[in-house]
Amino acid sequence: MKTCVSFEDLLRINRPQVDYMQKIGEAITDPNSLDACEIFTKQVRIVEGLLIQTYGIAAEFSKRATDLQEIADIWSSMAMFCNVVLQTLSLLKDKFPYCGAPQLYDMALDYKLECDKRFRGVLEEVSCQRVEIPKGILPELS
Amino acid sequence: MSTSGDTEGDITRAELAELAALFDQFEFAFDPLSLAAREAESRFDDQVRSLFDQRIGPKYPEVDFTSFYCKVKSACRAYLRKQLRSQR
Repeated sequence: MKTCVSFEDLLRINRPQVDYMQKIGEAITDPNSLDACEIFTKQVRIVEGLLIQTYGIAAEFSKRATDLQEIADIWSSMAMFCNVVLQTLSLLKDKFPYCGAPQLYDMALDYKLECDKRFRGVLEEVSCQRVEIPKGILPELS
Repeated sequence: MSTSGDTEGDITRAELAELAALFDQFEFAFDPLSLAAREAESRFDDQVRSLFDQRIGPKYPEVDFTSFYCKVKSACRAYLRKQLRSQR
């Protein structure tokens, strides 16, 4: 039996790791201790890996999708996931300036902007569907 | 002449294939921040602009660049999906 996981499922599966990063970050009372930084950095790296991989899966899903609205939904959901990471790190990046948090914050911001760009691009294509251009400009695919 | 049953247009099938390959490299890049993805996007934009300025704009004055750009992107998506289907 094949098990199918939707993009929404994937985001739901990933979310606890972001929440756990917040929980660890808030629980640490001395962010300057080496042990605390090590523990926090480990979770930051897990979330960084999830962000990279989830983005890659969003790209692959959007390549396979046939419906432009479905593609827009994928990029919108991915942008929201980036936002969750950004919101979680908004205070923690200042609490842990040397434990990878500011770098992950910057990366999540860059990824969110890429998602937003793709989302806007797809919406432009949706509105373009109503615009007719003369037949024969582009090759017709059989 | 196309051998796959596809019909040529003002933009040839080979040109669309080249644009689709570039589109694939940036729109569906695993790492959207990579130099390769940004270079591909820049080349794609340049090529679409050049095709419009040299061939489409003069022949079809009623077609604006934004609409042409959108249609090329949608055609690239369709081309890549067709490629994916044929690989399965």
